[in-house]
Amino acid sequence: MKRSASLLATAAATIFGAALAYGAASVGQSAPDFKVRDSNGKEQSLSAYKGKFVVLEWTNPGCPFVQKHYDTGNMPATQKAAESKGAVWLTVSSTAKDAGDYKSNSEFNAWLKEKGAAPTAALMDDDGKVGHAYGARTTPHMFVISPEGKLVYAGAIDSKPTARKDDVKTATNYVTAALGEAMAGKPVTKASSEPYGCSVKY
Amino acid sequence: MQVMNGLIRWIAALLVLPACALAGSVAQTEQVRAELLALAPQGIAPGKQVWLGLRLEHQPHWHTYWKNAGDSGLPTTFNWTLPSGATAGDIDWPTPRQLPIGPLLNFGYDGVALLPVPVTISSPPGTRIFHVRLEADWLVCKVECIPQSGVFELDLPVGQPTISHATEFERGLAARPVSLDNSTAEARIEGDALAFAVTGLPAALRGRKATVFPETAGVVDNPAPVTQSWNGAEWRARWPISSQRSESPAALPLVLAFDGGTNLRVVATLATPWPGTDATRAGAAPTLPETPLSLPGFATALLFALLGGVILNLMPCVFPVLSLKVLALAQHSGSARERWSSALAYTAGVVIAFLALAGLLIAARAGGEQLGWGFQLQSPATVAALAALFTLIGLNLAGVFEVGSLLPSSIASLRARDPTLDSFLTGILAAAVASPCTAPFMGAALGAALTWPTGQGLAVFAALGLGVAAPYLLASAVPVVARWLPRPGRWMETFRAVLAFPMFATVIWLTWVLGQQAGIDGAAALLVALLVLAFAAWWWGRRAENGPRRVLSTVAIAALTVGTFAWAAPLWRPVAADSRAAANVGALWQPWSPERVQQLRAEGRKVFVDFTAAWCVTCQYNKRTTLAHPEVLATFEANKVALLRADWTSRDAVIAAELRRLGRSGVPVYVIYAGAEAPRLLSELPTVEEVRSAVAINQETANKEST
Repeated sequence: MKRSASLLATAAATIFGAALAYGAASVGQSAPDFKVRDSNGKEQSLSAYKGKFVVLEWTNPGCPFVQKHYDTGNMPATQKAAESKGAVWLTVSSTAKDAGDYKSNSEFNAWLKEKGAAPTAALMDDDGKVGHAYGARTTPHMFVISPEGKLVYAGAIDSKPTARKDDVKTATNYVTAALGEAMAGKPVTKASSEPYGCSVKY
Repeated sequence: MQVMNGLIRWIAALLVLPACALAGSVAQTEQVRAELLALAPQGIAPGKQVWLGLRLEHQPHWHTYWKNAGDSGLPTTFNWTLPSGATAGDIDWPTPRQLPIGPLLNFGYDGVALLPVPVTISSPPGTRIFHVRLEADWLVCKVECIPQSGVFELDLPVGQPTISHATEFERGLAARPVSLDNSTAEARIEGDALAFAVTGLPAALRGRKATVFPETAGVVDNPAPVTQSWNGAEWRARWPISSQRSESPAALPLVLAFDGGTNLRVVATLATPWPGTDATRAGAAPTLPETPLSLPGFATALLFALLGGVILNLMPCVFPVLSLKVLALAQHSGSARERWSSALAYTAGVVIAFLALAGLLIAARAGGEQLGWGFQLQSPATVAALAALFTLIGLNLAGVFEVGSLLPSSIASLRARDPTLDSFLTGILAAAVASPCTAPFMGAALGAALTWPTGQGLAVFAALGLGVAAPYLLASAVPVVARWLPRPGRWMETFRAVLAFPMFATVIWLTWVLGQQAGIDGAAALLVALLVLAFAAWWWGRRAENGPRRVLSTVAIAALTVGTFAWAAPLWRPVAADSRAAANVGALWQPWSPERVQQLRAEGRKVFVDFTAAWCVTCQYNKRTTLAHPEVLATFEANKVALLRADWTSRDAVIAAELRRLGRSGVPVYVIYAGAEAPRLLSELPTVEEVRSAVAINQETANKEST
């Protein structure tokens, strides 16, 4: 009698324990798929990149925190390093069309070119659907997705939450670290951090 | 010149305005005026009270941030240079305000705020002047954000009191939250939320609501509403945990700003451990849900699945395929060997269909799709295809055409030799149509099984299928049952034809489901397509003539059938959810949305949610019986329960995500939210008494809490 009661309790605990881990776009869970046009008008989806590591970078050229990482060349360098290792880099703009610093496709492309940025594609998530699905809060806000489609990192670009450009040199780049560990088949030491920056202008 | 300036400053400082603003104590930008202030009522000496502070005066609509900035933004930071023997403490933050921006919530200050810092003097300053230097960084935002910084300098007289900004400090220090000595606070992880319980609060606060600020960032879902209640002297709150939680603190300090202006600080210690998520292996599946089950737990789950499958046979869900089941039984009435092979084939069909559906579902979910159990009937095209299939089966049973006349003779004879195949296909069809409803007791188990390692998850679904087929296996195994069945004979012909009519009833039901999903045009298109299909079937069955004319007309009719389906298919698309929601919601029921639930709960209303779907016959049965029962409706009304209905007839990622949060994967699901309590889930086939007592229990709790 006692035994069967404890069996039931084990089953219940397992069932409810598993239910705990739910929620949209959390580390360790499946990354939500999306379909959205890029800044060249081409349709992009996460599922199209299955089998590759994918980095999502929320950005807004008008934000000083984004400028910190672009003017110092930190973000473009991180992009190129990731892509040279075979990762796909998707820069996402969830800035609403009526926001003051909204950029059209051509303006956005010109900005990328000017900064020497080289994402695989720039997703124009004007209606914020992708942003909401991932719970993107700040610019920058970074997500790393494994080839199996699991979220392995979510959070800040690096360890120094400031707008000071000097801090880039001394900060730990969490995205580079997460990609390095995940690509080597190791667990990601810092799998989530608190993102910092301007609000996403939904 | 330099000396003169210095002298003038000295004279001004000493004679006119002791310790008042010297050059460099103010920084002014277009958004903020920042000023370094000091308070030292007894001069600067060891053991004396010395405060420094930065006064921030924001332009309208601009704000700076608290120590936890919330969803975005950055806290203001200080870097002090003080004479030796003096050390500056941390900012003693005043109570912040909530600063909503779009869907996000930040914490900070607008208007005028003073950020005070206590200074400890350990040895007497050797000079007559105490020189203070501050480098401050702040982020000022309206919608756009501007990082700003300032360097401030201030000279304070060591031997004289500095009190010129005493009122500013008085006001600023009073804005800080008060820590209570005899208050205890605890937080528990309950499902996807943190449940706080705080005791030892002043009696005058009882029954009042608080705005709650978490000092630690990266733990709770900032913009999610905090549900609060009082249980006697204990204040309780429930705050959803952030899905992107980055911190696992052992204690969570909270600032509670109660209505009426009382601001308190409590430190809630975590009474339950955080589930580990940090060492998530790249590529490997999630750590927590993928933990393999201990064997006893797994065995129990399998046993429950088997039982759940057996009970599924008694659920209203099987009405649409009742005749298929009867047919399967009737086919058992041959020799013992035939009975066995046909029962085994039927079982294999059911189990394989369950496995295939579960496998597809697990694969789709791994791909990030928000799907749940029953997903096959969420596609209008699948519903239309099933309707066509059931029409054909019905016409076949009614004798309009024989399958042999459809297929080349070799396959036809194979079929005749092997009725096992028939049973197998019957099993597959029965499972595909009858499985979407969640079996009783199986709601939580199915939800969890989808998160287990694939092998174990599939085993649970296989056990469920085995349970569904078990009664037929038993029937063929027990000779008494076989004897009870009538001998095969001419009655079989009549019986077969009679069974055609339940098949057509299933077609009516499927048409109704399609109408819910694709609207009246889609349903009408299906009926036209079925009419043409029936005509084609009749033509096939006629066998009137042979020769080139028959070939020609056959090709024409086949082309007509294909053409009709091609014409109708584009109409079988889901219509906008709004119009569907409007159609399914009466005066009593409102359409469900997570925001609506939060809003109603924030208003203190109790909320009942019916997660339903047109294709879930059990849901429809419950809707028309228990949920329409006068006593249940009276209980709802007496308790002012808000009734929300979430219609999952077509695919809906928001509903699927909410079901996952509740630990479920399919419908029906009935949930009651009351006060700060965790949501209560009712059974899949709730009785009138069950609903009434669930509402009443919550009512008692609520009464207790409000007194």
